[in-house]
Amino acid sequence: MIFREVEDRDLIGRARQGNVEAYNLLVSRWEKRVFNYLLRLVGDREDAFDLSQETFLKAYQNLGKLEDEARFSTWLFRIAHNQAFSLLRRRRPEGEPPAQLPAGKASFGLYPAELSLAVRTALDRLSADQREAVLLKMYQGFKFEEMAEILSCPVSTVKSRLYTALDLLKDTLAPAYTRGVP
Amino acid sequence: MTCSPFDLKDYFFEELPAQERALVEEHLKQCPGCREEIERLRLTGSALAALREEEPPRRIAFVSDQVFEPGWWQRLWQSGPRLGFAAAAMLSVAILVHAFARPAPIAPAPLDSTAVEARISAEVAQRLEPAIAAAVTAGEARQAQRAAQLVKETEQRLDFDRRADRVAFEETLSLLQKKFNVLYVASADLGVRR
Repeated sequence: MIFREVEDRDLIGRARQGNVEAYNLLVSRWEKRVFNYLLRLVGDREDAFDLSQETFLKAYQNLGKLEDEARFSTWLFRIAHNQAFSLLRRRRPEGEPPAQLPAGKASFGLYPAELSLAVRTALDRLSADQREAVLLKMYQGFKFEEMAEILSCPVSTVKSRLYTALDLLKDTLAPAYTRGVP
Repeated sequence: MTCSPFDLKDYFFEELPAQERALVEEHLKQCPGCREEIERLRLTGSALAALREEEPPRRIAFVSDQVFEPGWWQRLWQSGPRLGFAAAAMLSVAILVHAFARPAPIAPAPLDSTAVEARISAEVAQRLEPAIAAAVTAGEARQAQRAAQLVKETEQRLDFDRRADRVAFEETLSLLQKKFNVLYVASADLGVRR
């Protein structure tokens, strides 16, 4: 893990000097995580891919503003978050609450198992804020402090969103998982 | 609600310090309700983990393009020794400020135009007259040399003409002598016959 961090820092340094290949290597390490985060947030593969590209382009253009290379992942997901919510705001008509993903819009892979379907459905029912909190914690493994930095909100708000979401998911998924486990 | 000394979700997400975590674990041994709650959270986490990551439809890669690359000044600014650069910039600003803040130089006294003209005339005369004299001397020398050359060429031409005239005269004289001799011989023959 330490070795990987050192390597990322080196790549960031070389990318800052204009080395595009170094940046491409950095992108290859993070694109899958960023893409899946955005996919589960916006629910559309093409939108998620476009947002991923915009995220990495914006990151490259603003590498100079990254003060601590060790916090690259937090900084990168902060950019991705801004890109995603910019799209979600454009989708949402003025004055309406944050939209849940439209039924049938989600396209989280082609997993035939009932459990995967249940998970997708349960995530889709969450608000965008709640869903994002779950994604950052459960799938990306960020700490509360890092999530607060990515989302630009207090830790208390992060925990509130996450725990509300977890209560909703727990009611749906825990029984489903129990049924699905052989 | 649970009766745990600390939030079970914080425990579940491993966000509790070691000491608090130990206290929760101690509590879980004695509390079936909290154990059930933790078990439900773990089941929820396991269900969420069933959703696998997907591959992006295409690889994301960038090509070198000056439009997207940071400018030279950005790279310089981002290259580490920002403080040194900032210090140098501050020093430059200080030098500029010092340069502009210096008192204005004292205006020079008005010039005496007559004296200046006299000095210029003297200087011109001092430098011009020798140059003119040198030029005249050189011109005269060139003229004398050319005249001598012309005299020499003329003398050579006259000498050649003179020698040519003498040769022509000698040839003519020889011819006349030969004609006289022929006439003499002819007259002698005529006298003998008579």
